[in-house]
Amino acid sequence: MSGVSDERAIWLGRQVLPHEPALRAWLKRRNLGGLEIDDVIQETYTRLFQAESVAHIHDARNYAFQVAGSVVIDHLRRMKVVPIASVPGLDYLEVGSEEPSPERQVIDRDELTRLAEMIARLPGKIRDVFTLRRVYGLSQREVAGRLGLAESTVEKHMARGFLIMAEFYGHGGNAPARPSRSDKQANQTKMER
Amino acid sequence: MVLRTAHQIDAEAAQWAARMDRAALEPEQEEQFHAWLNADARCMGAYGRMRAIVLTSERARALGPDFDPTAFTTDSALAIPRRRLLQWGGAIAAAAVIGIGGTWQALRVRGRFSTGKGETKVVALKDGSVVTLNTASEIQVNYSDASRGVELVQGEALFDVAKNNTRPFVVSAGDTNVRAVGTSFTVRRLEAAPVQVLVREGVVEVFKPAINAPPVRVWANSIAEAPLDQDAAIAARPVAPTQLHRQMAWQTGQIAFEGESLAQAAAEFARYSDTKIVIDDPVLAKEEIAGLFKATDPVGFAQTIAISLNARASIGEGEVRLTR
Repeated sequence: MSGVSDERAIWLGRQVLPHEPALRAWLKRRNLGGLEIDDVIQETYTRLFQAESVAHIHDARNYAFQVAGSVVIDHLRRMKVVPIASVPGLDYLEVGSEEPSPERQVIDRDELTRLAEMIARLPGKIRDVFTLRRVYGLSQREVAGRLGLAESTVEKHMARGFLIMAEFYGHGGNAPARPSRSDKQANQTKMER
Repeated sequence: MVLRTAHQIDAEAAQWAARMDRAALEPEQEEQFHAWLNADARCMGAYGRMRAIVLTSERARALGPDFDPTAFTTDSALAIPRRRLLQWGGAIAAAAVIGIGGTWQALRVRGRFSTGKGETKVVALKDGSVVTLNTASEIQVNYSDASRGVELVQGEALFDVAKNNTRPFVVSAGDTNVRAVGTSFTVRRLEAAPVQVLVREGVVEVFKPAINAPPVRVWANSIAEAPLDQDAAIAARPVAPTQLHRQMAWQTGQIAFEGESLAQAAAEFARYSDTKIVIDDPVLAKEEIAGLFKATDPVGFAQTIAISLNARASIGEGEVRLTR
């Protein structure tokens, strides 16, 4: 579907999402030329989706750092007046095949623990909807019936749940589970700085 | 045009992700979705990231029908000791190399990394620190439980150090050491020149272990120089933000000059390329240069500079000669 393949999304969920906090911490220290970290993250994922193949990448963490770095560099280059010649295109060298990882089981277990933790930390209604949909595998309609909600409300709760989980992933599980007014204000000040 | 914030885009991406999680899109929704997706370079990434979360969260089925989110705590049976995870993490994957005009590598505890002329390389260390190597540079990483040691064997590197108060990060450059706990700085170690430490963020301590003198604290936006003469004192001084930026231009593959002589500029280019810039005329050599140039293109630099200085650039074997 228009470049966003589920196969790639699964790969990113497994290989890149867990490294987002480290990536953000690194970006925080760089001159982003006025870009927000979230902008860089989004464009990084765009490039990761557009990459022809990821089969050769056996260290996705570094690859993600590299791509994020190139997003920033491209932005800085566009900003600056570069008087000489043209800047060469960024080409990614291909690297060796993915290594089999015998520790996958342990990692999976960690993933599952983290997932359970995230679901547990979702705000009330969203958590209920999310648990029914994701853990018990009910359809949206079934969830609506069970909880006496409109289907569109269930969908909204799910969207909100995904958004909060995105925050969790982005900040290593430290994001507030219930964004409140004061959280919003805190964000505001951050942006103003 | 008003640009949407990343946060708005994330919220929209989550809505699309939830809609598609329910069922496939209707044809007209599909059209809307594509229009949305193509409106901004960030949208595909935001949606894809959300889709990754949608699919990842499907694994929650494995939690089973007995899972009760209201009763879940991190120390429940599912949780595994963090130490064990770290051990596994340490066992995974040896160094990987990817390129971006420079290359990327990863490592655990020890390793040697170097760049050729005109290359840059980023080394992402597992503690979260990131080292960016400039042209013709080499580092040796020696991490231990007590400290995070990196030897700058030659050249120049930017150190973005992850904060860890219990494990200091120590860069050694010849007889000079730079100690940090969490900060961002470059160290430059060139032949026959003082070791130079440029601090972009936080504070570092510069000292010579062999000498019994207190370390010199160097704060953000300052530069410290450790003279070649072993007994000479380390001196620190503030630098203007513009100079700081110029000194960091190599990270984007560029060299910035502002008032340096053409001879100095030629020497700087020699760090990045084997093609020498030769200046025949001593008066020409003293001309001042300003501007931002591609580091690996001495010929392009010489040709452009020749025009502005009313000189001639002639390209020869392994060199470009500037004459008047």
